[in-house]
Amino acid sequence: MFFELPFEIPYLLTLLLVVPLVGAMATLAMGGERQKYAKYTAGVFSGITMVLSMVLLFTPDLSVYNESHTWIETAGLRMSYILTVDGLSILMVFLTGLLVFLSTVFSAREKDKPHYFFALLLAMEVGLMGVYTAADYFLFYIMWEVTLIPMYFLISWFGGPRRHYAAIKFFIYTHVASLVMLIGIFAIVFGAASGGVADFSFEAVLAGSAVFGSTFQILVFGLLFFGFAVKMPIVPFHTWLPDAHVEAPTAGSVLLAGVMLKMGSYGIIRVCLEVLPEGAQYWQPIMIFIGILAMIYGAYACIAQKDLKKMVAFSSISHMGMVMISIACLSSIGIQFAIFQMFAHGLISAVLFMVCGMAGHSIGTREIPLLGGIAGKMPVFAAFMMFGFMASLGLPGLVGFWAEFGIIFSFYDYAVSVDMIWLIALCLLSLLLTAGYYLWAMQRTLFGRLTNKIDLSHIHDVSRPEAIALGVICALIALYGLWPDLALSYIDGYASSLAASLGVI
Amino acid sequence: MIPIEVYLVFAAILFAIGAYGVVVKNNTIVVLMCIELMLNAANINFIVFSAFTTDVLGQVFVIMSISVAAAEVAVGIAILLNAYKVKNTIEADSLASMRW
Amino acid sequence: MFVEYTWLVPLVPMLCFVIVGAFGKKMPEGGGPVAIFGALFAFVMSVLISYEFFTSAAYSDPGFITAQIAWFSIGDFTINVGYYIDSLSCLMILFASFISMLIFIYSIGYMHGEGVKKRRYYAEVSLFLTGMLGLAVSSNFLEMFVFWEAMGLCSYLLIGFWGFTHPNGDDAADNAASAAKKAFLVTRLGDVCLMGGLFVLLYAFGSLDYVTVFDTAAMAAVDPNMIMLASLLIFGGVIGKSAQFPLLDWLPDAMAGPTTVSALIHAATMVKAGVYLVARCFPLFTQNPEVMLFVGLIGGITAFFAATMALNNMNIKKVLAYSTLSQLGYMFLALGAGGYMMALGIQSGDNHLIAAGAVGYTAGCLHMVNHAFFKALLFLGSGSVIHATGTEDMREMGGLHKKMKITSITMLIGSLSIAGFPLFSGFWSKELVLEAAMHAGDYGVEGYLFTIMWVLAIVTAFMTAFYMFRMWFMTFKGKPGHGTEHSHGESPKSMTAPLVVLSAFAAAIGCMILFGFDEYITIGINGAGQFQVGSGHGHGMVGWLEDIFLSAYTYLTVVLVLAAIGIAYLMYSKKSVDPGKINRNGNSLLYRALSNRWYFPQLYNRIGWGLGYGVAKGVEFVDRDVIDGTVNALSAAVVGGGESLSRVQTGNVRDYAAMVMIGVVLLFAVIVALFYFMGGA
Repeated sequence: MFFELPFEIPYLLTLLLVVPLVGAMATLAMGGERQKYAKYTAGVFSGITMVLSMVLLFTPDLSVYNESHTWIETAGLRMSYILTVDGLSILMVFLTGLLVFLSTVFSAREKDKPHYFFALLLAMEVGLMGVYTAADYFLFYIMWEVTLIPMYFLISWFGGPRRHYAAIKFFIYTHVASLVMLIGIFAIVFGAASGGVADFSFEAVLAGSAVFGSTFQILVFGLLFFGFAVKMPIVPFHTWLPDAHVEAPTAGSVLLAGVMLKMGSYGIIRVCLEVLPEGAQYWQPIMIFIGILAMIYGAYACIAQKDLKKMVAFSSISHMGMVMISIACLSSIGIQFAIFQMFAHGLISAVLFMVCGMAGHSIGTREIPLLGGIAGKMPVFAAFMMFGFMASLGLPGLVGFWAEFGIIFSFYDYAVSVDMIWLIALCLLSLLLTAGYYLWAMQRTLFGRLTNKIDLSHIHDVSRPEAIALGVICALIALYGLWPDLALSYIDGYASSLAASLGVI
Repeated sequence: MIPIEVYLVFAAILFAIGAYGVVVKNNTIVVLMCIELMLNAANINFIVFSAFTTDVLGQVFVIMSISVAAAEVAVGIAILLNAYKVKNTIEADSLASMRW
Repeated sequence: MFVEYTWLVPLVPMLCFVIVGAFGKKMPEGGGPVAIFGALFAFVMSVLISYEFFTSAAYSDPGFITAQIAWFSIGDFTINVGYYIDSLSCLMILFASFISMLIFIYSIGYMHGEGVKKRRYYAEVSLFLTGMLGLAVSSNFLEMFVFWEAMGLCSYLLIGFWGFTHPNGDDAADNAASAAKKAFLVTRLGDVCLMGGLFVLLYAFGSLDYVTVFDTAAMAAVDPNMIMLASLLIFGGVIGKSAQFPLLDWLPDAMAGPTTVSALIHAATMVKAGVYLVARCFPLFTQNPEVMLFVGLIGGITAFFAATMALNNMNIKKVLAYSTLSQLGYMFLALGAGGYMMALGIQSGDNHLIAAGAVGYTAGCLHMVNHAFFKALLFLGSGSVIHATGTEDMREMGGLHKKMKITSITMLIGSLSIAGFPLFSGFWSKELVLEAAMHAGDYGVEGYLFTIMWVLAIVTAFMTAFYMFRMWFMTFKGKPGHGTEHSHGESPKSMTAPLVVLSAFAAAIGCMILFGFDEYITIGINGAGQFQVGSGHGHGMVGWLEDIFLSAYTYLTVVLVLAAIGIAYLMYSKKSVDPGKINRNGNSLLYRALSNRWYFPQLYNRIGWGLGYGVAKGVEFVDRDVIDGTVNALSAAVVGGGESLSRVQTGNVRDYAAMVMIGVVLLFAVIVALFYFMGGA
């Protein structure tokens, strides 16, 4: 800890849920003639939430913020309202607070029903914060579903031309997956209760998980893994993602890629690995395979894309594949850098989607073949785009590189242990492909001859709110890149204790 | 004493006539009447079993069933009257607007 | 007292990058003076550090000064950040900062007309310098890798400097954009190899610090196969960065950038980083003679191939680009040959062989310094010519000697030096390179390969002299061409002054070898015996003079060089021999192969498109039609199935009633059947 706050804020975690909820309602009230105040209302509330989430970063002992209240109690069931933050979730909570605020700033120019738009963003934040802080499976599941609804409306009200198709696809796909996950949750909760009171809290399930037999673990791991992994997403259950991204408004894409995809990997670590270590051992090779497949498949798919935003969406698949192999290494380093990559990718993908969004509304098209030589017309835009691409392809000195380095190193450890060092070559291939599609995209959009295929008369460079939002994230990418310990120090303890518990079996 | 089978066969025939009428007749009044036939076939069964087992519970049910049938007819006739006002017909085939 | 502040050496240019990047618009010359100040500061600091190091006790034992702090940790492995100063890093920061400073001064004149783009230029070259200086003083592989990649980024940015709104039109812009991408991508291919090497090292040694990795005891404890794998992967990175065979194709294309950038890439930074890395990893590489053999072979082959491609090129910058490749090949040949002998010496405990190997190491490092000076000179000179004539085609030049005296004479000095004309810088180092290669041929089972390389290297020396003087005669002698007539005479002082300074160094810097350079440089790898390689003992002036001038082979190469210069004179100045007769006016098979760079670009394009875009198309098809097709088909099946089932609902009351009846009957039948078959009552 580099700086410690001398005070505590009571009920901080509840406030993280309540402030955006109140904000959403307040923003919703800014309809009609008050529309122009909607963005300020949303900005204030999401700003407060961001500050509250940053308080956590400077708290030496996170357990002071634990909250626990019984919620529903019957003869056979106990569901509680339990909120906690630990090494796994603290960066995700911070990321959520940060990205919701910055996407609010970024979207300050939203003209069409802004009160709905910003209210949906804040409603999203409630769900996301809930997912990352909940420590009770019932609450967790509810919050998981809560995130779906605002996202559905963000896509289907504020999206592109095929928004209805994309929104429905997104909703059904992820909802089916979460139902499978729900079965898995019931299995572990009732399994852990072994006939007694079914307590849904994480703690009780973890305590009761000792009774799980290996067949049970393997089967239930499969159910939960499927539920979470579709959210990540994994190949071949990924096709909802490019469509959702292409059609979603920029702020929606930022939150979707930046925070929502991480719910999947968060769930795998939090539920699958913590509760079902033996299942994890069994599924390890499959997870590795899926991860590598996603990395390379995603990277290749990127090369063929014509839509800038779709390319970035596929790159998310590729990068989340990295998270997958890192988790699958089941080692301390692997888990540490999986979480770090989740954080790093959250920051980087925010830049990427903001840049794609600007291409859409400032230039008027995101089609790569129609663009060219834009750097001469929009130098600031070009600088941000290049920065984002470079960060994403893992330029050392930026945050993405350290994540990739740690992940591939942990994977190297695994590859040596199974005596297949050549697997590393596949990871390195994906790094090369990543560089390839980004550079090629830049060559065709930013550089070369100025395009004459589109009308360039209305083109305008980055506006002030957009520049602020992008500048802040880029600064953070560089900061965490030069000083990765700023983020890694939070994760270290959690990763090594989880790895220790995985090693025990 | 008349054996129980005679009553049961009689009720079954009555029920079959009612069922046939419900399926085949186009006039909704007749359909309602046929439903009454089926209900009464069931009532006969109740009474017969009640009499043969000397258990009055069956007769209680019949009373209940008759009152429900009366209410049902009232509702049914009301619907038909309204349908006639709107559509100018009470033929079952032309009252098919509630499909998908 | 200065060594502790080594971190200022890369930091100050870094700050210049930030300052110029942020405020360059309002500064004179787009922030050029700030960039020059940064380089000057780095140079002064380098001089002070070097002085302090060479006079300190650490110079002889342990041969380096290092300090580091923990940066972050990967699991149990701590990654440090710090500095590592030894003879090699002193040498690197000295010449890199000095030459960069001269190039920046030159840029003031050369880039004067670029307007708002100047800010970008000076910011990026400052970052470039940061990369090189940081790389040279890094104390561990990972820190080095960060700067290594930063240079890759800068080369991308600078080669693509005119990647949009090119002064020469759209085609040139497309070309620059493509060249920049190619440079970054090809070096990236090497970099991922290097990264793989770092994983192997980190896993095997538990640390990436030079001090830990190069420790003899630590290396002995590690599986030799792992060291070999790591060495080869690291050398893979070098092949990419220093544009060696087979990844040499990006460097000629990189000429699309401004000439000053080419000078920077070829002389002071970027490609020299590869040579530095091999020299730095000498203790590691010499664990396996096979690795060093590979290094030497790659170097020799590159030297020869690149030289052939320069023979008939008409573009003044491209000729210089090929010559860089060729000279880099020399450096790797020397390092490889020296390392090969050293590795054999270490294995057999033969101190004589180790000392012979140290000559190769010395030769590689000396040639690197020499090359830095004369290549900077030649590129800046060619920039001056291009600045004056507005063309890069040598056929449109000619007769420029009368109009541009200073440029002409300084370039002549550079050409003499690179050609290895006796007593010029290049002569000393080239003789040492050839000597090392020749000696290496005498040892080991695969030694004969070095003999082949030695022969190739001598042929290359001949070709080098030929194409350099072909260039000089075509440019400055003969009939004035198109461009010459339009030229406006000598370039401004800010451009000629660096040329003069550089020409002095290009002529004389090689004489370092007579003043104990071999001792200074080899003591670093010796590390007071800790690294087990190197000698740290100098031959002395008399020793080297005897060594070189008493060898018959020296005279052989000198004769070849003089002959080559003579042929070039006859062909391109006196025009008594028509080159068109030899190459059948550019139609001979060889000539066309050379013009097409031995068809390497086509080959790479085909491979690149096939493995990249071809596979990508397949993946896209699978994604769109197979995977998403299945998803859409599934949803269509659900929707369509529901729709067709809903037809059953006719709305006809009698149909419903009939269905209820049928259902009841079926249910009844099932129950009866169940009772019957289950043997019920």
